[in-house]
Formats: sequence, structure tokens, C-alpha cells
Amino acid sequence: MLVSMKVEATDYGDRRVYSVGAFNRGVSSWLGRLPTVWVEGEVTELRRQARWASVFFTLKDPADGACLGVSMPRGQFDALRLELADGDRVHAYGRPELYEARGEFRLRALSLERFGLGDHLAALERLKQKLAAEGLFAPERKRALPLLPRRIGLVTGNDAAAKRDVLTSIQARFPPASVLVGETYVQGPRAAGAVIETMRALWSVPGVDVIVIARGGGSFEDLLPFSDERLVRTIAESPVPIVTAVGHEQDTPLCDLVADARASTPSLAARLVVPDLAELLQRLDRSRGGLERGARRALERERRRIDQTHERLGRAPRLLLERSRSRLEQTAGRLKALSPRATLDRGYAIVRADDRIVRAGDAVATGDLVDVELAKGGFGARIEETR
Amino acid sequence: MSDTKPTFEEAQRELEEIVHRLESGEAPLDEALTLWQRGEELYRLCRERLDAAEGKIEELASRVETSRPEKP
Repeated sequence: MLVSMKVEATDYGDRRVYSVGAFNRGVSSWLGRLPTVWVEGEVTELRRQARWASVFFTLKDPADGACLGVSMPRGQFDALRLELADGDRVHAYGRPELYEARGEFRLRALSLERFGLGDHLAALERLKQKLAAEGLFAPERKRALPLLPRRIGLVTGNDAAAKRDVLTSIQARFPPASVLVGETYVQGPRAAGAVIETMRALWSVPGVDVIVIARGGGSFEDLLPFSDERLVRTIAESPVPIVTAVGHEQDTPLCDLVADARASTPSLAARLVVPDLAELLQRLDRSRGGLERGARRALERERRRIDQTHERLGRAPRLLLERSRSRLEQTAGRLKALSPRATLDRGYAIVRADDRIVRAGDAVATGDLVDVELAKGGFGARIEETR
Repeated sequence: MSDTKPTFEEAQRELEEIVHRLESGEAPLDEALTLWQRGEELYRLCRERLDAAEGKIEELASRVETSRPEKP
């Protein structure tokens, strides 16, 4: 128990000297005036023995690894029935204490609560709301992925599965792909920081046009680093598009919301970052075919037009001739209608004397010879009588 | 890669627009021939891009050592 007490010192001239015990008591008494607070951390190195009055464990800060020794009265600890395991996150309520016999500083816990899934979820939800309010998840922030990245950055753990899945899928789809693999920690207290630094290292490499963050499935806690606020903000500020393939379909770590594209499996991530080479070549060849066809068609169209014009040109004189001929025939018809022959056909005859047409009776005299022309043939005649 | 050269995407998009224009049959002959030439050029460019890519998997040289946690 901490009790405020007077600290004895011995004076050597003008030097005031404390014994170790007195010094520790002094510090302890000063610490005893500090308030009781809640401290959050992960439980490690839990030590409990039946003959000890207290249980001991270390609280570790998952963000930076800082440690704090904790002691707690064994009776109170046991009564909580927490059944803590290494790595469990707790909230400890207590005050700072100095273990005077050893000069060791620690937290004297009066109460302990497991910081459970529900609390994590609530904290995550608050962070999500905050980042959403800042517009970090807005669809208009999402960048288009390059069709043909010069180089693909891959952030992955050294666990074979996720890395192999991404690499084999990329290579199957697009054999000429270049991938720069940044292996790092994707689990545990420092995963978020490690992923952030690996991303930064990758995007500084020239030619890296897109980065994939791939991590296999895991427990909710395993994936927590991928909801880390710093990680989410780093993705948002990345100069190149980021594709996340973290966990399974049902998991939605916050990094998925801020990423430019999200894949539920490593092979789907590959589908997003590289084109299908065979498809691409087909499409290119189709385009080229269309190019040739199009140019040839334009050429043929022009040729046809020229040919038609030429043909019309050739037809023009014949047309003229025919028109003249028909006009001629019309004229001929009219001419024929006017000819005396038509009159002869109707039964008239032409009488000529000395090759002159006889139009009156007194133009001839009895005994003259005349020539009579009929529609068919004719005859000679002698005038018997004139009138 | 020079800045004046189009990216693969740009080249592919332009190529497909040219094909579309040619197939519409609206381009007069002069333009059609120019388009065709440009299209062939773009096609070559795209193929070169694909052929130039030599697939390779590399490890990031500078591992991020600082962030590795100490072994307990």
C-alpha cells in the first residue's frame, strides 16, 4: 500500500543523500498522488501462481510495442474469470505504482476488462464514419487502373499462399508482366507500419504504375492492421492506384474502402491489374483487320464511283445518236404522210404529158400520148376526147 | 518511354476510333488513306509495347528493415 510518509535524508555538508529505500519510498509516495486511469494494451507474459498474492503480466502497445508491467491482486483477477491468453486486448483500470523493494515501476490494476470484438467493431465503425466524412471513400476519388502497367508493386507477407496466388494469376493472364515484390509483415502489432513503409518504398521505384496489397484470410484481429487509420490515409495519398486483396469476400477492412479497386481473391486482383494477353492481341488484330478492310472499302467505293462516271461518259454519244435516229424516223413518218404516193393508194392517178403533170383538160389535144401513173405500175394512153 | 509517344491505352483507343471512322464509310479517300497509315503506325506501336515487356519477378531490393519488430 502506498502511504505518504516523511522521507529521511542524511546531510553530508551541503549534500543531502537518500538511502535507496528512502528514495523509492519518496518516488512511490509521489506516484501515489497520480489519478487512477484506464490503460489499453495487449496482454503478454501472464504469470500467475497460487502462492503469490498478485498476478503479473505485461501490457503491450500494439502500435509501437511500448511495454508496461502490471500487477493485480490475485483474488480480484481470478474473480473476473477472464481466461486471458497472450495477445488479448484489455482495458486495465489502475494507478502507477513503484515496487519499492526492487525500484520497479508498474501499473497496479484494480480492475480489468477484455476489450472485445464488440468494442473493436464500435471503434472501427467510429473510424469508418470519420474517414467517410472526410470523403476518403468517395467514388470520385477512385483512380482508373492502368491497362498495361509497366511494373506492378506487390505488398505481401512471406506466407506462400497469397503471394503465389497473385504471381501465378498475373503470369497466367499476362506473361510479360513485371512484378516488384515487397515482402513485409502482414500480421501482428507492426503490420500496419510495415505495410505503409513497403508501399512507400514500392511507389518510389520508377515504373511502378499500380500496387497490389495481398493478404490471405485470417481472423478479425489478424486483419485489423488493414483498418489502421495511418494505413488507410497512406493508401489515399498514394501517387499510384492501389488494389487491395485482403482476407476473404465477407471481410471488409477499411483499406478496401479507400483503395482504388478491391478484389475478393488474389486471382481477381491479377485480373484487375493486368490485361489478358491473348484477348489483347486478338483485339489488336481485329482492329488491324478493320483498318485494312476500312481502307480497302474506301478505295473500292472511290473506284466504283469513277467506274460509274466513266460508264456514263461512254453512254453519252450513243444516247445522242439514238435520240437523233428517233427524231429522224419521226420526220420520215411525217414526210411519208405528205408524199403523193399515199394519194395514189387511195385510187388517184397521175397523168403526165411530155413529163409534165396534166392538171387541166385543155392541156392536151385529141390523139396526144400521155403516161398514167397508178399506185402500182401504170400505162400509156391516147387522148380520145378532151373536155 | 518518351512523353510525346502515346501510352498503350491511348494508342489502342486512337486505333479503335480510326477503325470505327473507317468502317462508318464516311471518310473520303484521302482521309481514309491517312487514317489507315496512322492506324498501322498505332498498331505497330501497341505490338512493340507488348513485345518489349519482358516478364520478370523481382524482390524489392531495400527491405523495410526498420519496421521489423524485434524478436521477443
